[in-house]
Amino acid sequence: MKHNGNRVALALAALAVVPGLSAQEVAQSTELEQLRERVIELEAQTDDMLQAAVAGSERVADQAVAAHEPDVRIGGALRYNFIHRDFVNASESKYGESGFDVFRLNVDGEVDGIIISAEYRFYSYMHTLKHGWLGYEFEDGSLVQFGVNQVPFGLLPYAAHNAWFGVPYYLGFADDYDMGIKYQREDGPWSLHLAFYKNEELNDPGNLNRYSFDPAVVPDDDQYNEQVNQFNARVAYNFGRGSGCETELGGSAQVAQLYNSATDRSGDHWAAAAHVDTRCGRWSFQLQGLTYDYTPRNPEGVSEDTITLGAFAGAYAIDSQADVIVANVAYNFDSPWERIDQITCYNDYSHMTKSTEGALDSRINTTGCAIGSGAIFTYVDHIYANNMAYFGNGSLAGGGEDRWHSRLNVNIGFYW
Amino acid sequence: MQNLMKKLLLTALACTAAGGAWAQEQLNVVSWDGAYVRSQILGFIRPYEDQTGVRVNVIQYSGGIDEIRRQVRAWNVQWDVVDLELFDAIRACNEGLLEEIDAEQLPPAPDGTPATEDFLSAGLMRCGVGNVVGSTVVTYNTEMLERTPESIKDFFDVSKFPGRRGLRRSPQGNLEWALVADGVPRERVYEVLDTDEGLDRAFAVLTRLKPYVEWWRTGEDAIRLLETGEVSMSAVYSGRVPDAVERGEPLEILWDHQVWFFDVWALPKNGRNTERALDFLHHATSTESLARQANLIPYGPSRRSSLPLVNESMRAQLPTAEANMRSAIELDAHWWSENLDRIERRFERWLERPVQVPRRMPR
Repeated sequence: MKHNGNRVALALAALAVVPGLSAQEVAQSTELEQLRERVIELEAQTDDMLQAAVAGSERVADQAVAAHEPDVRIGGALRYNFIHRDFVNASESKYGESGFDVFRLNVDGEVDGIIISAEYRFYSYMHTLKHGWLGYEFEDGSLVQFGVNQVPFGLLPYAAHNAWFGVPYYLGFADDYDMGIKYQREDGPWSLHLAFYKNEELNDPGNLNRYSFDPAVVPDDDQYNEQVNQFNARVAYNFGRGSGCETELGGSAQVAQLYNSATDRSGDHWAAAAHVDTRCGRWSFQLQGLTYDYTPRNPEGVSEDTITLGAFAGAYAIDSQADVIVANVAYNFDSPWERIDQITCYNDYSHMTKSTEGALDSRINTTGCAIGSGAIFTYVDHIYANNMAYFGNGSLAGGGEDRWHSRLNVNIGFYW
Repeated sequence: MQNLMKKLLLTALACTAAGGAWAQEQLNVVSWDGAYVRSQILGFIRPYEDQTGVRVNVIQYSGGIDEIRRQVRAWNVQWDVVDLELFDAIRACNEGLLEEIDAEQLPPAPDGTPATEDFLSAGLMRCGVGNVVGSTVVTYNTEMLERTPESIKDFFDVSKFPGRRGLRRSPQGNLEWALVADGVPRERVYEVLDTDEGLDRAFAVLTRLKPYVEWWRTGEDAIRLLETGEVSMSAVYSGRVPDAVERGEPLEILWDHQVWFFDVWALPKNGRNTERALDFLHHATSTESLARQANLIPYGPSRRSSLPLVNESMRAQLPTAEANMRSAIELDAHWWSENLDRIERRFERWLERPVQVPRRMPR
């Protein structure tokens, strides 16, 4: 700018020494003023042009690259299910069912240094924000996320390879999203997550139109518990990072208050998990052990043996104390077909042991393959479940039934 | 009359004061990055600016002809001169995206040898004029390897030479190396690649290495991967290595089966600056300009007359030096110009294929 200022001064000085200019002609100052303004205007235009152009060979510009990279990307998916359930008579008689699963919209990007990531999902029976957070990446690569983000607990990002997930998800301990702030960083092989969640993602424990399971307040249920003020910490160490054969060992802890809106008292909740996540060559092995405890302050006479969870427009009870193990194995095949990009086959097993006297265990075993071809991604899962929610009369609390049920689930999605 | 005179004088002064920057002629020259573009800037771009008063804006890119196609077809050409890899120049020329250049009009060598005789044969084409002979070589970080790699096969042997590898995110050069590592003699590389089985074979070799590969797009990225220790060995443009070594980086070139290629200057069609661009091209491809560049970065000048003007020490580091050429592969620009579209599509799709169980699958 300095040279511009000099140029303006030069022009004005020149005007001052033009022969013939005298005191009488000061009356023409209006004209001079207009010219001065014009000079400044031209200077501004020149500056704009210089800013827009690359300033000579001293600087190397990435104009072409910058011009074509959008800051925010809109994506999404449209998915359908083909199902056969052996525990539903109509499904048996009709030789299966098919229908719309989900339509989702994603927004991911960065605006003025702030990262945004959001996903909204439309199901036939509900629609909800799956996640939506704003983030900032520090110079050391660490990241802070604020908003509805994934709770850092146990195996990440998912505790299963298949589309139906395993027991931890149905207890709210996998792919869970809550409203809060999370900080994550990596230091060589170490990774650390620290998070605080004020409450579940919708700040409305009575709203069951949600993606992930949380304690819920449900009509005709006397519990009225909601999970608030939750702290999470997750530490993991990665052996063999970048070697093509790596193993992550990690531990997670979660503590929270369990506010009861009927009694206006708060109980508490804690959970802990240890996991091993190995990806070696084309194999993947995942192991996880988790334990949790809910100590509610229910109204007088209301059992504290179970906690009501809700999501997907429904609710069910789970045992208030239980242990869960997860054992998953997967193999990524080298596709012999040019049009098939990915064939990953797996067997995911998870098992819940309850603390309530006489309560039956709950188990789920899923064998299947995930097949990717361009924008189309398909899961072919055979789910075999014993005493699981959504399978016959299965229950994640006491009672239920000691019967195995199966569900063949083909989920075909188009992702963009 | 006096008033009119004053008005004219004032207007002239105002325009002079404000318009200095407007009057300067500009030229947009598109090239690569790092030590390479620096050698061009110091070797002949800055001298050209000094001689002509033209401001040369240097714009960075990393290959391909998509942007040229877009500009030319829209008649909105902002790139006046582009430094293209030869196979890209052939493709762009065949598509009619480049101005044809009359080699007879190029400046002769100082001894009067016509340009048509002075340039190396592949350095002159219908739409481009040779710039340098560049090369892609394997370079390794001496502090990260316990033993010294001796052949291109060692690059593909992660059990004998543990550590991650860096490769350019493009099929050119990588497929050739994969076949050589699999036992194909360099003379037969393109003959094998020309068959579906040969192509599958090359991709199969790359698939085995894929879990260990970091893919780079620019020459600077490749050097950075080595400098930061993210990879122990990487494909790099050979000329970038001495610059990094001067900065104290423990890097060493493995010349075995270097893949050498031509870069050419070309002018996109429908430009508004074509005459000036042609003038710049004549300057940039003169004997002296090419020699000055080769004295700043060890790439072979595409004119024979430039070579005697290159320092002895620099000549030994050129890809075209006899010791470095023993097992060299010439990148077949014509083959790639015909096959790049087809193979690049397959390559990009292959890149997306996981070779491990993905940590995250679509849900």
